Amino acid sequence: MRYYKEGKPKGRFIGSTERYDIYPGIYRKKEERQEPEPHRKTEQEFVFSYGPASGMLESSEIDFYTPGEIINHVDVDYDVRMRKIGITGLTPADALLRIERINGFHAASHAICFLSAVEDAMGVSPPDNVLKNRILQIESERIRSNLLVVERMAQAAGFGVPVNQLSLLREKVSRIIGKHSGHRYFYGSNSLGGTVFEISSLAEEIGEVSDEFRDIFRSLLVSKLFINRLQNNGINMESDSIGPAARASGIMHDARMDSPDLPYGELDFKPVIKEESDAFGRFMVRSMEIGQSSDLIKKVKISNDELSENQVGSVNGKGMARIESPAGDIFYGIELKDGIISAIDHIFPSVKNLENFRKSMRGNIFTDFHFNWESYGIWISELGVVLE
Amino acid sequence: MNINFWFLKGIFKGIKTEKFPKKAPLDIAPWSTALVGKGNVDCPVEAIKDGKWNFEKCIFCRRCLPEYAPNGDTAIYKVSGNDRTFKKSFHLFPLDSGACGACNVELHNIAAPQYDMTRLGIFFTNTPRHADAIVIMGVWTEGMGKVLERALEAMPGPKLVIAMGACAISGGIIGTGVTDKFNADVVIGGCPPNPYTILSALMKARGE
Repeated sequence: MRYYKEGKPKGRFIGSTERYDIYPGIYRKKEERQEPEPHRKTEQEFVFSYGPASGMLESSEIDFYTPGEIINHVDVDYDVRMRKIGITGLTPADALLRIERINGFHAASHAICFLSAVEDAMGVSPPDNVLKNRILQIESERIRSNLLVVERMAQAAGFGVPVNQLSLLREKVSRIIGKHSGHRYFYGSNSLGGTVFEISSLAEEIGEVSDEFRDIFRSLLVSKLFINRLQNNGINMESDSIGPAARASGIMHDARMDSPDLPYGELDFKPVIKEESDAFGRFMVRSMEIGQSSDLIKKVKISNDELSENQVGSVNGKGMARIESPAGDIFYGIELKDGIISAIDHIFPSVKNLENFRKSMRGNIFTDFHFNWESYGIWISELGVVLE
Repeated sequence: MNINFWFLKGIFKGIKTEKFPKKAPLDIAPWSTALVGKGNVDCPVEAIKDGKWNFEKCIFCRRCLPEYAPNGDTAIYKVSGNDRTFKKSFHLFPLDSGACGACNVELHNIAAPQYDMTRLGIFFTNTPRHADAIVIMGVWTEGMGKVLERALEAMPGPKLVIAMGACAISGGIIGTGVTDKFNADVVIGGCPPNPYTILSALMKARGE
């Protein structure tokens, strides 16, 4: 492994896989932690169940424990749609087809992190052009993901015009991605040491979307009806937060800063940080990151040369990689035996985001729920999945 | 004040809805359209067998390149049962059985201004009680199988069952298809299907 070493914890805690605790550049055997005591329903409380088929984007069963208005506790049951995906025993290329479909909306982030871990296990480094091309994919995906988060928050407020205008922009980004990669969700666009993402005119097209978004963002910011629903809603004070939820709480956690798998260091990257800690802060970070991602795409200067592919032979090795997906850190750890995956470890951002969402719902009321839920950008597809 | 403000912003933006289906689709990502080619290839989901391409299994992974390539045709669906009752008003109840999220978003996208499903009399509903059709996305999962049964029971007749995407139809590369457990009147191919394909299939499902 080029970057990860077994050792004593140092730096921020990224999360735990089945076997390891992960820190920037460090892994160690997973420490047993005491599970928090499950919530016990009091006599004053009743349980209001929402879902699993509820009109939300994905299926999940959400139980609110409430004495009437204030929510004391929230449980989210995603076991109801649990998928079991076999990864071990496959070649990395075959596994990639399944990895892309863990969370289709963030397929590029998952695929690129997985491939980086496999390349680490193989001891190979893709050409600089490929690495930079991967940044372009992830930042395009981040723009679309953030547009969806802002759109869903506006939808919770019943704001028809901004919802449609944001939906228009999101579809434009999907078409840009489809045109440049051949597939609207980057399926089949990445391979070991290679990529299919044609980049001519990408920066201009994404730049137009970013400019259009800026106008909608400014208009939303002067809408008291909208802002009042977000401020003081879902205050997140957790120091182990990740992704936009961390950055909205003044915490400088961003894998683009502390993970060397992709060359963000060459782009003079600085995370967007806000101090609000609530759904409004998360809305601000997600919105401002759209412009930032567009600027990063403009900064990347590469040609389409050397987008070559590596073949996996009879390789044995262990590799780890971490990248900043639109919702926070994704981590993959891979063990290869004779070119076949013998073990896989992973951390998905929705796990930590769900934990912090549940804590932030305490003391809120039901009408706050949709705004707060959407502000975290949680994907049930990342939660209701077991990799075997 | 705010209502007028957003109303004016909407007006100034102009009409963004395309002329589809009267006119051809404006923008299609190639790897969501029919594949054509010759010969046998090592297809991970056996979507290409004996030189024939089966849209119900294809996950559009590009492993069949260069022998097979997309031809831009978005009509990759099959309608075995339709109902003209829904010609003017067609209410859909989306159900995620075990999807990766891509089908969910693509179905959501037919409400985007470029497609605007409501001009065609197509709407989403959050309850099976108000639904004319159930749109199932993702592989079959035990927990959601029971939810699906209850939803089908709750739907008034006449009703249609629509399986959307390779996972729901055949299990794709992830698991078992929902159509192994429930009969579907309409199957919409793709991984995920693109919004043009979804709209075309929905219109066919109501007898157009």
